[in-house]
Amino acid sequence: MSDFHGIIFAYGAESELGALVGRRTSSSLPFCGRYRLIDFALSSLANAGVNNVGVIMQQDYQSLLDHLGSGKDWDMSRRHGGLRMLPPFGLPEYHTGNYLGTVEALNAVSAYIHDIPQSHVILMHGNLAANIDLEAAIQQHLSTGSDITAICSRVAPSPSGPHFVAGTDGFAKELIFDHAVGGAGMASLETYIISKHLLLEMMEQCKKTNRLHFHRDAMLSYLDGGGKIGIFMHEGYAKAITTVEGYYSANMDMLDAKNRASMFPADRPVRTKNAEEVSTYYGEDAFSSNSLVADGCIIEGSIRNCILFSAVHVEEGAELEGCIIMKDSVIGKNVKLNAVITDKNVSVSDSTVLSGSPKMPYVVPKDASL
Amino acid sequence: MKKTCIAMLLAGGQGSRLYALTQNMAKPSMPFGGKYRIIDFPLSNCANSGIDTVGVLTQYRPMQLNAYVGSGQSWDMDTSDGGAYILPPYLSAGEKGSWFTGTANAIYQNIEFIDNYNPENVLILSGDHIYKMDYSLMLKEHLNRDAAATIAVLQVSMEEATRFGIMNVGDNGYVCEFEEKPAHPKSDLASMGIYIFNWPKLRQYLIEDEADPESSKDFGKNIIPKMLANGEKLWPYRFSGYWRDVGTITSLWDANMDMLSPQLINLYDESWPIMSNWPACPPHFIGEDAEVVHSIVTEGCVIEGKVENSVLSHSDVVKPGAKVMYSVLMPGAVIEEGAVVEYAIIGENTVVHAGAHVGSAPDGSEGWGVATCGPNIEIKAGAVVPAAGMIYTGEEV
Repeated sequence: MSDFHGIIFAYGAESELGALVGRRTSSSLPFCGRYRLIDFALSSLANAGVNNVGVIMQQDYQSLLDHLGSGKDWDMSRRHGGLRMLPPFGLPEYHTGNYLGTVEALNAVSAYIHDIPQSHVILMHGNLAANIDLEAAIQQHLSTGSDITAICSRVAPSPSGPHFVAGTDGFAKELIFDHAVGGAGMASLETYIISKHLLLEMMEQCKKTNRLHFHRDAMLSYLDGGGKIGIFMHEGYAKAITTVEGYYSANMDMLDAKNRASMFPADRPVRTKNAEEVSTYYGEDAFSSNSLVADGCIIEGSIRNCILFSAVHVEEGAELEGCIIMKDSVIGKNVKLNAVITDKNVSVSDSTVLSGSPKMPYVVPKDASL
Repeated sequence: MKKTCIAMLLAGGQGSRLYALTQNMAKPSMPFGGKYRIIDFPLSNCANSGIDTVGVLTQYRPMQLNAYVGSGQSWDMDTSDGGAYILPPYLSAGEKGSWFTGTANAIYQNIEFIDNYNPENVLILSGDHIYKMDYSLMLKEHLNRDAAATIAVLQVSMEEATRFGIMNVGDNGYVCEFEEKPAHPKSDLASMGIYIFNWPKLRQYLIEDEADPESSKDFGKNIIPKMLANGEKLWPYRFSGYWRDVGTITSLWDANMDMLSPQLINLYDESWPIMSNWPACPPHFIGEDAEVVHSIVTEGCVIEGKVENSVLSHSDVVKPGAKVMYSVLMPGAVIEEGAVVEYAIIGENTVVHAGAHVGSAPDGSEGWGVATCGPNIEIKAGAVVPAAGMIYTGEEV
């Protein structure tokens, strides 16, 4: 049995994601034709044998609950432990407003953290698109005797995240927030392996001093106090999804074979809710190039550089270029779309022309009819 | 709790006329139609018809079937008072156990299992047909007609009737005669091998038939004729719709090609989902210079060549310059650069290396047929597998 317990922060819904997070959090954003972002954190944990996982959520979590179900698809529907949903409970002050930081989110579920039977906790963010070899990270954590292991990447997952700088002994020496010197350090994926005991201490300390931020408050003071923070380098793809542009480009990144190989290695499969769809049908006059297509689609028109989620219908004469089309959308005859993101269940009527740009994709909200 | 009806699924058949494809696998576990195994059809029909208890009788090469069916979770059968149960032949203390010697004997050997559920009726299914059928409608007729047995029948042409078990129906609508493959058929109602029996009655007939040394212990050959001879009420349940026996290479290929025509069998119908148990794979990738027309493609595939009029299964790879036409690729097949696969069935995880050519287009000759490669074969670079070729696992080509 794994002595590690996963905690996934899934409460965030960055305002720069606009209509995409109108009725969901960023963790439940559909990604790469088939997945929700949280699948990557869950699968990284499951593939490392960590199947006791708490998911912290606060608002708009209906879509997340639908997706996670009992946790069965990640082998987390267990007799003991397994997947636990953690909406705010017990403390009325956490029911209103948004969690101001991860420490506040952790404190909102502190009773749960106290009761975790495992001795180590792995903290992850649900909006990180990365398939992390946590088994290797856990091994390094144990063999180096670190108090904390920070999972880092050479490429910053988002423009504004914290960086570590390692000393000659390989342990973190500095934690910096100025991304202008990003190249100097290792970008934090905000994924940490930490002993439960230490995590509780940090939570308590922050609560007493009314501090909210895990990095600025808890980690920095821990490091300054001589704490031993190990660095585990994640060499593959990693991107935190916080903006529409970032969402669009991360999806398009999946058209690259190298990125797909990093995100979907055969020995660490990404698991997701069982979709139960039929095969995708390509019609007599279909044209398709450089695209990812999920099951259950009917493609009679043309798609190029597109990501299609399941059960999308592209009718005859429609031309899609650089689009992300979510589940159950219908693209009518002779429609022309360029750099458009349609959310779930959108219908675009015949001959409509819409155009965005990769920097500013045109987003059609869920259930819209155009 | 007493059940109105449970199902017994005969899945022990070898499917010997599928040759290389069933060399190491029972026919019901054969991948079919891109997303399924053959057994998904009867299992999903059960689930959609509200039958939550299914005994799956296995015998020939059952490993894949056992792993695939599991507890029946994929068909929502893992309930507390139902489920899918794999029932292999077994030994009893002090007795000499034996293989199932016929379809009726297979059920006879599992009388205890059925008694356990104490059902009023038992639905007998075979694991080698592709169709969507609401068994609850058949059960309703069976009960309304107060039948000892109800047999699903399909109207076929008189020419085809010579290949089937034919039900002749009397003026009252009940079956009056059963003829196996008649040279001069009197009716065009072919038995589909789907039966609902009143369980106490069938139980009695099975015990009597078992004691009959002359009997070949078969439903069609023995049980049905005996019931008729005894004046039992046998009702024909008329089914109309898509139904295919996929017992031969040609019929398997044909039925796969039918998956390209939703008007024949609509798998997009959300009210009657055909459920399966495959691992989740990433969406399929269509490469820059790929060409995919009139084909079905599913998760995990990477298509960089040309795919036309074909059925692909999960995790198939078609490399740049490769061509797949009028073919069925089972899961994990790899078609390397410049290879051509046409009018062929390629087994699971078989690799067709660069420049090889499998199958050829119909030329009107008598010897022409679909070329078949079994699972886990390496077809060497530049090799040629002619039309109607049959390559077995372990063979060097």
